[in-house]
Amino acid sequence: MKQQLEEILKKSLTEIEKSVDLKQLEDVRLKFLGKTGELTMILRGMKDIPAEERREIGMLANSLREKIETSLSQKFSELENAKLLADMEKEKIDITEPSTGTKKGALHPLTRFNNKFMELCVEMGFTVIQTPEIETDYYNFEALNVPKNHPARDMQDSLYITDKILMRTHTSTAQVHAMETFKPPFKIVCPGRVYRNDDDSSHSPIFNQFEALVVDENVSLKDFMIMVREMAVRLYGKDVKMRVRPAYFPFTEPSIEIDATCQMCHGKGCALCKGTGFSEFFGGGIVNPKILEMSGIDSKKYSGFAFGPGIDRSVMVTNKIPNIKYLFRNDMRFLKQMR
Amino acid sequence: MKISYNWLNDFIDIKDISPKEVAEKLTSSGFEVEEIKYMNEHLHDVYVSRILKIEKHPEADRLVVCKVDVGFKTVQIVTSATNVFEGAIVPVSLDGADLVNGVKIKPSNFRGVRSDGMFCSGEEIGIDENYFDGAGVNGILILPTDFVPGTKIEDALCLNDVVFDVDVTPNRPDCNSVVGIAHEICAIFGRKFKDCDLSYKTVKENINNYLRIRVESSNCSRYAGAFIKNINLKKSPLWLRSRLFACGIKPINSMVDITNYVLVEQGQPMHAFDYKFLEGRQIVVRQAKNKETISVLNGQTYTLDDSVMVIADERKPVVIAGVIGGVNSCINPNTTETVFECAVFDLKSVRLTAKKFGLRTDSSARYEKGVNINSPTTALKRALHLVSELKCGEIVEGIIDVCSKKLNEKRKLTLSFSKIIKILGVDISKEKVSQILSNLGMEVSINGDVLVCVPPIIREDIENENDIAEEVIRIFGYDVYNDLQGVPFENCAKSVGQFEPRLVMENNLKNILVDEGFYETLNYSLYSASACDKLLLAQNDERRKVIPIANPISEDLSTVRTVMAHALLIDIGYNLSVGNKEMRIFEIGRVYQPKALPVTELPTENNRLSFAVCEDGWDFFRFKGIVENLLLGFSLNYKLQRSNQPYLHPWVSADIVSEDGKVVGWFGKIHKTVLKNYNISQDVFYGELDTDFLASLPEKQYETKEVSKYPSVERDIAVVVDESVTNEELLSGIKSSCGKVFLEARLFDVYRSQNLGDNKKSMAYRIVLGSDDKTLTGDEVAGIIKKVLKSLEFRFGAKLREM
Repeated sequence: MKQQLEEILKKSLTEIEKSVDLKQLEDVRLKFLGKTGELTMILRGMKDIPAEERREIGMLANSLREKIETSLSQKFSELENAKLLADMEKEKIDITEPSTGTKKGALHPLTRFNNKFMELCVEMGFTVIQTPEIETDYYNFEALNVPKNHPARDMQDSLYITDKILMRTHTSTAQVHAMETFKPPFKIVCPGRVYRNDDDSSHSPIFNQFEALVVDENVSLKDFMIMVREMAVRLYGKDVKMRVRPAYFPFTEPSIEIDATCQMCHGKGCALCKGTGFSEFFGGGIVNPKILEMSGIDSKKYSGFAFGPGIDRSVMVTNKIPNIKYLFRNDMRFLKQMR
Repeated sequence: MKISYNWLNDFIDIKDISPKEVAEKLTSSGFEVEEIKYMNEHLHDVYVSRILKIEKHPEADRLVVCKVDVGFKTVQIVTSATNVFEGAIVPVSLDGADLVNGVKIKPSNFRGVRSDGMFCSGEEIGIDENYFDGAGVNGILILPTDFVPGTKIEDALCLNDVVFDVDVTPNRPDCNSVVGIAHEICAIFGRKFKDCDLSYKTVKENINNYLRIRVESSNCSRYAGAFIKNINLKKSPLWLRSRLFACGIKPINSMVDITNYVLVEQGQPMHAFDYKFLEGRQIVVRQAKNKETISVLNGQTYTLDDSVMVIADERKPVVIAGVIGGVNSCINPNTTETVFECAVFDLKSVRLTAKKFGLRTDSSARYEKGVNINSPTTALKRALHLVSELKCGEIVEGIIDVCSKKLNEKRKLTLSFSKIIKILGVDISKEKVSQILSNLGMEVSINGDVLVCVPPIIREDIENENDIAEEVIRIFGYDVYNDLQGVPFENCAKSVGQFEPRLVMENNLKNILVDEGFYETLNYSLYSASACDKLLLAQNDERRKVIPIANPISEDLSTVRTVMAHALLIDIGYNLSVGNKEMRIFEIGRVYQPKALPVTELPTENNRLSFAVCEDGWDFFRFKGIVENLLLGFSLNYKLQRSNQPYLHPWVSADIVSEDGKVVGWFGKIHKTVLKNYNISQDVFYGELDTDFLASLPEKQYETKEVSKYPSVERDIAVVVDESVTNEELLSGIKSSCGKVFLEARLFDVYRSQNLGDNKKSMAYRIVLGSDDKTLTGDEVAGIIKKVLKSLEFRFGAKLREM
């Protein structure tokens, strides 16, 4: 009897081991543990076994049953895992096929640059404002110390609507609005479109500038330079080099032009920077006290600085845009490169 | 402006400083030198030589072989030139020469005969007959016999100058002259200015016996004249010609050259008249009479009007004042007596006249920048000095000087030293400041904080501390500011930055559209008024009132836009034309609506978001989804109404209407005629929102409530209704009949079929019901649905569709 049980154990474990799928494993279970299974039959025949052996045989048979069941359950999870893996393999895909769903579009390069710059200005304590694009002569010229006979007022340079009303030629108009609106000290920046009577291969009649103005009791050219340097570092990285040149603007005195490392050649010298390694970054200077006075600010107490670069050139250089006309042509082949 | 380095040396000794260094220092002190031109750039290895002997070439009839003395050696030159002769002094270019026309010289072989170089023509040296006699002939330049072989040609012909092209800023009209720039260089290098020689000899006669000057026009604040007789008109000496030549001015004759010389040197335009053509022996400065005509030196005849100032004699205009002289009175070979003019004309008057006739002369260019009131007499004396020195006439004693304006006097400015330093933000000592200012020709003293200075008379631009600060720092050097480190605004009020709310909101809208696959575009805000026609705007549409530009660049940019749609349709048309497909684009920009035409006050500028799709797979409802997503973030309750935007499809478009009835945007399919007008062959969906309005809305508040503990129930119903019944109507019917337990209802299918009958549609809704305090029983739900169906039937004639 004992021997018979040992046989069953050996046989069942071998068959369990040999099973290749869940179906076969179930057959094995039934064969040994099912209602008419071999082990079941033996256990059922226990009553015919002499009482003195019954206990021993019974224990043996039970432990045998446990062993078979453990083996069955181990094999079961083994085969089940194998089946799931096999099922998943059937779901294998080509991961290089294209994605589905909506593809994101893109902002215009000018907007990106503008946003980056405005964030920078706000971090530095500037308030962003907006002012009209159609202006009176007073805001565009007179209040900015552009005298009546200044060539900038010529029809050639500005787009006029009437003698007294024109498309603003610079965002410097924002200076005047700010000085009238805010009480010093203040810092403002105004991004926007400006218009010139100029349309050729390298000029666009409409382009973008921003104007920034700081009015405070103790503003110096040094503050201006440190601030501009900080801006250049944020925009172009900490290795940027700066160079200052004297300049002339009717609304600032002293006026300077600040060059930064040319972003086309990174200072090596190229056609764009005429081999100097520098290209124009900002122009500006200390606000002419006449302008403060004209807008009702006490120039004895307050001074200020103002600067207002065009951003189209910077955008062209940073994005390597080959032609200024691309900025307004809106060719999808161009716009899609900004994704 | 072109400035000659040799000329500068008349007024300041800078021979020891290289032209390159001078240029760099000028640039860094505010006078940008845009170009340095070396007159001798193409003249190295060219020498004066004498032809010793000419022999025939053994192999070629047209060539001759010359033995030539180059001073330091004798060379052999083969030439085909026919105007050479033994003993002739000619320029010869030797090995290494690189002539102005690109020819590079090296020894060569002409049919077996060696040639060490080449004889040069005037053209090959870069000069013409005006500059040097014989330079214009077709052949070799034959030089005067007193030229010494071996002399460098640049020295022999005074072509050893260096010319700076200087950009003079409008605030420094005093520097549009050699003396002005020389003063600057004095300050930069701390050197002394050598005064101009203004001395001349006169004959003891009275100028008033010859000439009267009357100034009638208020546009002339000063007019000075001198009289010269017994003119000996000749070619100016080479040194003078070479200076004019270097500055790009054609030498003509001694009298004309002197006026041009003074113009460049002193910055004072001059004119010289032939006295015998001045009728009545007088000069009258007046505005022209209407229809008066004048023939001028460029060969043109102009008809004048009273906006033009002229210099006239008793009867006729002889010069367009400050711009160009007339032919009738110009200096000519028969001129024996001359009147010199030095005047100050109003810069605006000159500019308008120059522009009116499209004439821009050296004279008008100077006047437009402003000529100092003190300048005419100095300049006139300088001119007379040259007449005297060049011995080209007898100067009658006296100058007639009619001046209606007070001459500038020296001004004493009392300023604060510490303010100057505060403006600059860098420490510069009083000694240094004082030194810089005095080098700039100012009388200066600094006591404590008080800086007293007297600028030179010509420096009208200097008025306050800022002006002095600029003078100091530009000479001190802006290099101190290069690569400054530190914290900005150290001594300023602290401020908190703030974005412009509308720009922030617009950026959010932009990002929503970008997420939906849109690309941002930028378009000109100027267009042709014909855009209104293309967009089918009614004749009485307010937007037809476009603001015209008075001086437009082109018809396409001739008015300021009142409508956004045009730009995106143009963009789509363009992209289709170049083969691009699948466009989702948008723009944020302004429209400009005048209050009245013609414009007398500033127009209203309104910011708009416009967006468009031209792509397969889109319909009104997909586009509507974009609009809904854009408006989701606003506290705005809006309704949709059929739109009557003229450029939208009349039946597939909607206005977005706020609770108080304001139309804040619209969207829909583009009208088929409009598509045709823009050459677009497929459907376009377009939408527009008023972002100024959206920015004016209060911030949207989000309030939430507890989520029910009890499950909700879904039921689907489909009802058949007339086509005219809208989804909105049915939804509101469902909602009101469900009462408190209503959670949500959604249209999930619309079905049309013959079986339903004409003009009928089936609308299928999923209704979600639930309660906060219990689970709804099946009976309750069935009761509610029954109520809904009954109500829909009663209100809209809806019949339950039998599935």
